[in-house]
Parts: sequence; C-alpha cells; structure tokens
Amino acid sequence: MVTIGIPRALIYWKQPSFWESFFENLGFKVLLSPFTNKEIVQIGIKISDPETCFSNKVYWGHLLWLEEKCDLIFVPRLKANEEKLEYCPKFFALPDLAKILVHPVKSSQSEVFAKGEQFNRVKTPILTETFDERKEKFEKILLKLGKKLKKSKKEIKEAAKIAFLREKELKTKKEREFFKKIQSKKPKIVLVSHPYNLYDDYVNLGIKDKLEKLGTEAIFIDEVPTQQLTTYNLQQITTERQKLSVVSCQLSVNFHWEFGKEIMEEIDAILKYKIAGAIEISSFGCGCDAVLKEFVEREFKNRKIPFLYLMIDEQTGEAGIQTRLEAFIDTL
Amino acid sequence: MKPIITFARWGNYTIAFKTLFEKLGLKVIPPEKTTSETITEGAKIAPEMYCFPLKVNLGNYLPAIKKGADTIFMITSLGGSCRLRYYGVVQDKCLSEAGYKVNFIIFGQSPKALYSKLKEVSGASFWQILKAIYFGFKELKFIEKLEKKGQYFRPREKKRGKTDTILMETFFDLEKVKGLKELSEFKKRTFKKLSEIEIDKKKDIPKVALIGEIYTVSDSAINFGVEKKLGREGIEVHREMDATYHFKKIIFPWKDWTIQKKINPYLRSTVGGHGRDAIYEMLNYIKKDFDGIIHLLPFNCMPEVTVRPILEKIHLQSGIPFLSLSLDEQVAEAGIDTRLEAFVDVVRNYHNRN
Repeated sequence: MVTIGIPRALIYWKQPSFWESFFENLGFKVLLSPFTNKEIVQIGIKISDPETCFSNKVYWGHLLWLEEKCDLIFVPRLKANEEKLEYCPKFFALPDLAKILVHPVKSSQSEVFAKGEQFNRVKTPILTETFDERKEKFEKILLKLGKKLKKSKKEIKEAAKIAFLREKELKTKKEREFFKKIQSKKPKIVLVSHPYNLYDDYVNLGIKDKLEKLGTEAIFIDEVPTQQLTTYNLQQITTERQKLSVVSCQLSVNFHWEFGKEIMEEIDAILKYKIAGAIEISSFGCGCDAVLKEFVEREFKNRKIPFLYLMIDEQTGEAGIQTRLEAFIDTL
Repeated sequence: MKPIITFARWGNYTIAFKTLFEKLGLKVIPPEKTTSETITEGAKIAPEMYCFPLKVNLGNYLPAIKKGADTIFMITSLGGSCRLRYYGVVQDKCLSEAGYKVNFIIFGQSPKALYSKLKEVSGASFWQILKAIYFGFKELKFIEKLEKKGQYFRPREKKRGKTDTILMETFFDLEKVKGLKELSEFKKRTFKKLSEIEIDKKKDIPKVALIGEIYTVSDSAINFGVEKKLGREGIEVHREMDATYHFKKIIFPWKDWTIQKKINPYLRSTVGGHGRDAIYEMLNYIKKDFDGIIHLLPFNCMPEVTVRPILEKIHLQSGIPFLSLSLDEQVAEAGIDTRLEAFVDVVRNYHNRN
C-alpha cells in the first residue's frame, strides 16, 4: 500500500485533520511525522537558509524525518483561500524548496563541482498541488490532486465529503470548549499567534501549561468564533461604543493576508468578553508578524489591556520564558 | 494652503522624483541623504523586525519633517505579497507614535492611481502632469545611463577616481537643470566629459553581476557602494535592476510571464517582490559567461530569503562564484569590505581559469 507522509508542522496546522482523513478515505496509509522534538529542530536548522523564519526551519526538519520512511511526501502549495486572501509568501515556494534544499550536502564542495547536476536531494518524491482559489474552487483542485494519485472522481468526492465533515466536527468541538473556557472565573489570557505556533508544544515551550499552572485560563486566538464583517453587520452597528469595539480592528488596516484578516476578526470577537491580558507569540524571522504585531499591539494597548510580545526561536530558553510569564501575570 | 512634500529616498533617482513634484508646482523638501546617523535615527522609531528599507526611509524623512515637510508620498504593493504593501500604514503609525504630525498619501502602483493622486494633490492640469512625468522619466533615464557608464569606465580608467568625480559633479549639477532643452544640452556636455576619460580598452576585465532586492541593489548609500568598490578593484559590474526596469514591469506585465517560463525548473510560482527576477537574472548572467554573482538583500527580506536556497543550488550546479550579503543597520562597512575582497580574489581566479 502506498504511504503518504505529511510533515506535522507549518501548513499542517492550518487544517489539522483534513488531509489525514482525505488520504485515508482515498485508501492510502498516512504517516505523520512525530510532534516536534529537539532532534527534528536540529536537522531543520542545519539544512535551511539561516535567515528564514523559525517555523520554516522546523518544517524542513519534519520533512527530512519523513525521508525514505514513506512513498510520497505531501507538500501543498497554498496561495490563496476562498476569500481571495493570500497566504504567507514563504508557503508559495515550499514544494520547490522541498525538492532542492532538503538534504545535507555530505560530499565536500569540490566534489559537488565535479559532479555538477547530481548532488544530494530528497529521494522521496514530493506530491504537490497548487491551491489558488482565486482561479479554481477547492473541490476542483482536490479532483486534480486525486487524479495524480489515479483515483476516480467518485472516490475523491466521497473522501473529501467525509474529510470536510470531520473538520466541521472538530470546529464545533473547539467552539464548545471556548464557551466553557470563557465562563471560568480565572483570569483569561489570549494567546495571539499562528496555529503552527499555538499547537506545537515544543516550539512554544508549552506556554499553555505554564499559563495554567500560574492560575490563568489560556485561550487560543483561533478558537474564538468570529463574525465576519458584512455590509449587513455594518448597518447594525449604531452606537459609538459599539463602533469602537467592533469595527476598528477589522478596518484599521486592510490585510491581504489570510491570517492577518482572520486574527483581526478574532480579536474583534474576543474583545467583547472580559479578558485579563494578551500575549503574542511570533517566531523569529517571521516577516508577516513584523507587520501584524504593530496592529495587534495597538488594538490591545488602546483598550488598556496588558500585552506581552514573545519571540521564539531555536535558542529560546525555558527559564527565560517562565520568568517573563510570571512577571506578566503579576502585572495583571 | 499647498502641502509641502517629501518622499522616500531612492539612490540617485531621488533627483528625478524631486523635479517631477516640482514641475507639478508643489513645494518639495527632498529627503535627507542616507548616512549612518539617519539610519540609526530611523531604526530607533521603526519596528524591530521590519525590513531594512523601512528603517532607512524613516531616517530620511525625519530631517525633512524637521525642516517643515508635512506630507509624505508613499507607494504600496510591489509585485504582490511583499511587505512594501504596508510601508505607508506602518510608517504613518511609527511617525505618529514618535510625535510627528504628517499626512500620508498612499497610492497604488497602477499608472491610473498615480495620475489621479497627483491630480488631487497638485491641482495641475492633465497637460501639466503629462509634461512633468515625461520630464521626470527623461531625467530618470539619464541617471540610469550615467550609472551604466560609471560601471563601464571605473575598471578601465587610467587615472583612478576620475569617473566618480565627474559623476558626482554631474549629479550635483543635474538638480539645477529645469527645462527639456537645458537637459539635452546638459546631457551632451556630460557625455563629452565622460568620453575624455582616458581608458585602457584592451584590459582583460572580469565581470560581476548584482542581483537581488531592487532597493538595496540600486541605492549605493545602503549597500556601502558595492559597485564603486568592485569597479576600483578592476571589475566590471552589471545590474538589470533599476527604476525603469521596475516601472516597465508594472506597465507591461508580460515580462513576468517570460520570466516564469525560464525559471520553471526551479520555481513554479511567484514569491512576491522580485524573487523570481533574481533567479531569472542569475541564469541569464551565467549564460552570458559572467565571473561572479553578488546577491544583495535587506536582512529578512521575505522573497529574497525564500529564493536564496535556489540561487545557491544554481551556484553549486554551475560553479559560478556567488556571494550573498544581507544588509541591515547593524552591518559594519569593514565586514562587507573583507568579504568583498575575498570574493574579488575568487572572481579573478575563476576568470583566469576559463
């Protein structure tokens, strides 16, 4: 049976269950790389460009872990989502980079020159498809992907249907948990970041556990159910106060990035509840976060909510984070 | 009251932009020249992780604002998913947080958007705007031609430093040129001056190309004059990236399609900014039998960092010497010099081997 490997990092966390169940329902075996650990991070750092962001480095580590353990590695090229908003530009080149960059050059430089074309690269073939929903519908792209795997239209549609259902199920579960959390009496702290920083416990040094041990309730920003701003919604907003709390975040800057708009919307939603503080986690070298942080920070500071900005990378120490968190909790 | 305009500095092209605004009847205070002081001042108020040109720009605005400028022109959205899109908003925020009151005029890059904004601000007639843009464009072309001449003359001149003195004088005098007729006469005089430089035509000269992010490649103040330094070492420098290259690509988008076709084996998608162009240019220069490639980028530039592994792969495949320099406010000139000197040796060896 053909095994498809999926690196458990970066884009995986955008749709955590979808790809697994989609491929499984198509009749493939799915091999997920393990949760991030020290070894994976070390491999990733060694082979990636030193200036690329930490999350990317982790991704290459996962990809190399899968090397030769499966028949195909799935690396989609995410370009735009159904709202025609773009993903991070670093995602655009993932499959191309996966083909060339990922392998330590074992032989010395001179040998490489002599051999010319033939130097190390990933031996496992990469399975990829471009997801640009400005041009094509998601379902259509899935059909194309399934065709590459030699599956019939009917099978693909069936598999996608089940995968979508499962994704929806998880989403409602997340929502239910959120409302449970919001009702607790502990001080609530919002963690603002990308899903690949929030759900990867090694990368964020178990920040959720740490916050819970300090007697607070950690809420991930992507658990917050959002209301999208439409013209209809806009008409309902009448009082000045409502305007301040709702409209300002989404309209303060017009992001063309999918996560930028999403996070702004979610901040809008969470500001309706009483929260004690906010923490933004950003991986070192993330270009998009440099923009995003400016506006996220402004929203919280305008409303006098304590805000902490944490940068994570391969050298972040556990003790350093602990001290900063404790100091932050004391200020609440 | 008419606004007093300043704008983002961009190497020698600043002169052309200044005359463009002046021709429209606007009052202009040009941004300060980039020095290490302006860069540190800019970096102080800029977000820490933002890319380098933003910090440089902010540093250039500050002295101009102190002199009385109250309106800043800023473009957005260069070639898609690049952080340049948010320069205007973020700079606006930084300046207002630092306590400066300025009005930002942010416009898209389509010619139509540019025209309507110019009309709105200056109140000039269609004919006047057209004339101003034409003159600005002519001047821009002239500046680029001078830069190209400099690249050719520097390694060949017999008396060292002669070319640079003439170029410096010319750029200084160019600011005073007002009319079209005057400009064409000024051009003739300058080219005559340049042709009088004694050069060694038979000299065997290695050729190096500059590729990478457009702002760092074409502004000699922030790349520590890489072009000049290499020229004085006896190396001819080439670069395709300049202002007209960028403007042409906006007006004629099909250039992008040919680029994509050529780089398909390496990268099958855009990565924002001029990421694809770097690969295309590198392949092109290898075909033209160049002796070295220097890749310049601001620290953490998203498109260039993404394509760098691909450039390195091309370098390994072809064996052409390759040097990647990322620049930011903490880079010291001495460090760049050392690396350039070592690179020059590699280039010479490579040139002699062929």
